[in-house]
Amino acid sequence: MTRWGMVIDLDRCTGCAACEVACKSENNIATVPPHQAEMGRVMSWMRVLAHTVGDFPDTHLEFYPRPCMHCDNPPCIKVCPVRATYIDPEGIVGQIYPRCIGCRYCANACPFTVKYFNWYGPEWSDSERQHLNPDVSPRTKGVIEKCSFCHHRLQRAREQARAENRDVREEDYQPACAEICPTRAIVFGDLDNPTHHVAELKEDPRAMRIMEDLGTQPKVYYLRARR
Amino acid sequence: MIAQRLRDTRGRVRPYLVLALGIALIAAVVLPVIALGSSRVPQPVAFNHLKHTQDLGLGCEFCHPYARTRAHSGLPDVTTCSMCHTSPQGTSAEAARVTELITAGDLLRFNKLFRMPDHVFYTHRRHVAIAELSCETCHGDIAHTERPPVRALVKVDMDFCLDCHRKQGATLDCNACHR
Repeated sequence: MTRWGMVIDLDRCTGCAACEVACKSENNIATVPPHQAEMGRVMSWMRVLAHTVGDFPDTHLEFYPRPCMHCDNPPCIKVCPVRATYIDPEGIVGQIYPRCIGCRYCANACPFTVKYFNWYGPEWSDSERQHLNPDVSPRTKGVIEKCSFCHHRLQRAREQARAENRDVREEDYQPACAEICPTRAIVFGDLDNPTHHVAELKEDPRAMRIMEDLGTQPKVYYLRARR
Repeated sequence: MIAQRLRDTRGRVRPYLVLALGIALIAAVVLPVIALGSSRVPQPVAFNHLKHTQDLGLGCEFCHPYARTRAHSGLPDVTTCSMCHTSPQGTSAEAARVTELITAGDLLRFNKLFRMPDHVFYTHRRHVAIAELSCETCHGDIAHTERPPVRALVKVDMDFCLDCHRKQGATLDCNACHR
């Protein structure tokens, strides 16, 4: 059974935030105006969190690229009254925008704070409008949006695989963040398929998941040597 | 009867009833016109599907070449029509007009009847080439129409999709078609 997941090697991550930019551009994520940003309404499905460790002068920064964890036991779907967010058979936690009523229960239930509410409809400048990705629908005012593991790429990959009468290969389906990462810190694939790189990496002794004790079973693993 | 009701017991006209009646009459005439008129899809020429598909025996893919390979099946443009219509064909006035338009350099841009909402992932390839559905499944009897329909012959909504997906045993997963 396919279970799409991600492994992020923090020892390789330089915090360049290329994943953030790639994600915003791939998924038509709206830029919010400054006064909205001040209210904490910036939307960024992939966010590089920076964490300072140690006391001055002996400090270093740790970077945590944080997409949606696509939990196997997602707390967000349990509170959705309209089943607008659900987990699909291949483990991707989907968000169906036309069905979302904007109650924001899921945003409050998510311990990783990866769900974003559209307080206003997206406003695109003319130059932005020209490079919107036609494969991803823009969200309207009043709905929640979140990282989808770029599942629109899976839709295309699946179709291509079906046309060629074969299974979806690892290289057929990569989200924008994994594709752009210059240090290959972000690796994506099927966690249950031993031929995929992620299946091997998640068994690495450095592997951990954030807030694992909550029991949400995240499918995003982090590798970190320093504890 | 109505004239009686418009007057109160003392024979005076009840203005609010007249107003309500007026609004109802206007709505009855105007609303259907707005609802039907706005969705009419205009076409540059009155294309006769019946003539081309039956009398001339052309297949759908002659004018809609990408039905098996791409997301959108494609619409014919002036290059397709020019294969025959650079010289007058047949006796119909519309065919003569096509020749005139081609000679005048018109691009003959046909308009789409179907518009998928942007949150739906649909491709002709996976329905026509992979699932081997016939065109009539979603497009109805368009091949036998003599004038271009002003709206789609089959109402394709999510119920229509899901109904067929259930019958065919295709995926019912939201993420498979929504994006």
